[in-house]
Amino acid sequence: MTEVVRRAQAGDEAAFERLYRECAGRVYALCLRLTGSAADAEERTQDVFVRAWQRLGTFRGESAFSSWLHRLAVNVVLAERRASQRREQRVRPAEDPAALERPGRPATAGLGIDLERAIAALPEGAREVFVLHDIEGYRHEEIAVLAGIAEGTSKAQLFRARRLLREMLDR
Amino acid sequence: MNDHEHDAEYKDLLDAARQLPRSIEPPADLWPGIKERIRAGKPRILPFRRALVLAAAAVLLVVVARTLVPRRGGGWVIERQAGRPLVGATRLAAAGTVRGGEWIVTDASSVAVVQVGSIGRVAVKPGSRVQVLAVRPTDHRLALARGTIDAKVDAPPRLFFVETPSGTAVDLGCAYTLEVDSLGNSRLHVTGGYVELQWRGRRSVVPLGAIAATRSGVGPGVPYLADAPLALRRALDAFDFGRGGAAAVRAVLGAARPEDALSLWHLLSRVDGGARGPVYDRLASLVPPPAGVTRAAVLGLEPAAIATYWSTIRRIAWRREILRGIRDIDPRTGTARPIQTSPRAPASHR
Repeated sequence: MTEVVRRAQAGDEAAFERLYRECAGRVYALCLRLTGSAADAEERTQDVFVRAWQRLGTFRGESAFSSWLHRLAVNVVLAERRASQRREQRVRPAEDPAALERPGRPATAGLGIDLERAIAALPEGAREVFVLHDIEGYRHEEIAVLAGIAEGTSKAQLFRARRLLREMLDR
Repeated sequence: MNDHEHDAEYKDLLDAARQLPRSIEPPADLWPGIKERIRAGKPRILPFRRALVLAAAAVLLVVVARTLVPRRGGGWVIERQAGRPLVGATRLAAAGTVRGGEWIVTDASSVAVVQVGSIGRVAVKPGSRVQVLAVRPTDHRLALARGTIDAKVDAPPRLFFVETPSGTAVDLGCAYTLEVDSLGNSRLHVTGGYVELQWRGRRSVVPLGAIAATRSGVGPGVPYLADAPLALRRALDAFDFGRGGAAAVRAVLGAARPEDALSLWHLLSRVDGGARGPVYDRLASLVPPPAGVTRAAVLGLEPAAIATYWSTIRRIAWRREILRGIRDIDPRTGTARPIQTSPRAPASHR
């Protein structure tokens, strides 16, 4: 465990800010892809670091701090999605073309920007599984636990996501 | 299926996904907001005694809830969104459970939202009567007797069904609005994915951006795009539900644009043999058939040819909708043309 993490665990806010500076980009990228929305990603990134501060005491240094934070971020985003589904007051299209127009897309070139937009336009369930499996490298059994779905559902959503992305990106 | 089945098939996509940047800086510095929340928040580590009290309270709450709440299986959560919807014989105050066989009735000012298992949600709009028919994992089924629902389903196809007096809407992974009038006639508007309408062997596939009507005793009509020309919509209505006959078919063909290929494809199997040739010729002139699909095969309604042609039409329509504003999709071929981001002066003026 690094000294800066130990200091943050002891309540050193400056040390925690340093951890934020080191990890914010990684957490924001994950939140952006999981939510498909820049505004939501900013909120979730804040939530992740607030939660991390509250739970720093449970970090024992068995893995890298960045891995622990990454897992926490996935949990925060998926938990918020489940909560918002329960309280959502309106029905939003599953394949919302407006999602493609959302601001805050990273300015990568070529296929990259198309792929980011296409991922943002996927239906929520398919997007989450694609991001976790094909970008972040999680296994279906892990995704099933994290997202509270059956392993078979995770596989079906991945297949669906890939097929939809292929359709969108195919010139 | 293992974790990496299909990986080879999607190699280019996976390669591109792996090359995406792992880190993206937030557009603004989020630290001030985090710091504020940390300082305003609860203590980072709960004192032991307080944690113990909270844990005991949580256990007690669970025990009380399990004792007091009747545990009857087979229901979905339903929430009041406006007014006082009726669920079974009970006015819904905030939230509750609706079970198989029960009716949801909304008056002119009531709205209820049903969580359809773990696969989606349905908003029951004012003036509606909806019955829950099945709540099984493989069969989520409602009956819409009258009124309007907004449905959003995020699941593999054919798990969610809505029956109306004039047809059944089968979810193929989608979002839609479905209205049923007092005669049992319905109107479906798809806002995401696809929906299949069925009635006694008659079938319409309605994609994103399209509308289809059903009529009691007739079933689903030919779907059309929401922005289809008025002349085409009127002609289809006359063909499907009036006595438009050959004149209506001619009017449809005259009004159709390449974007309306989905309507002409449905028409192929609904006109009699003599009219099928002109429908095919018009369709082929608007959206050329894919390789291997011949005129003779389509006129003979050979399933493989019909399905292959539909795949092409469906794919073009979907790409047009999903890439609207990003790419200019040729409605005849589905290929993309780059959108000009800034006006270019004519060559003679440069």
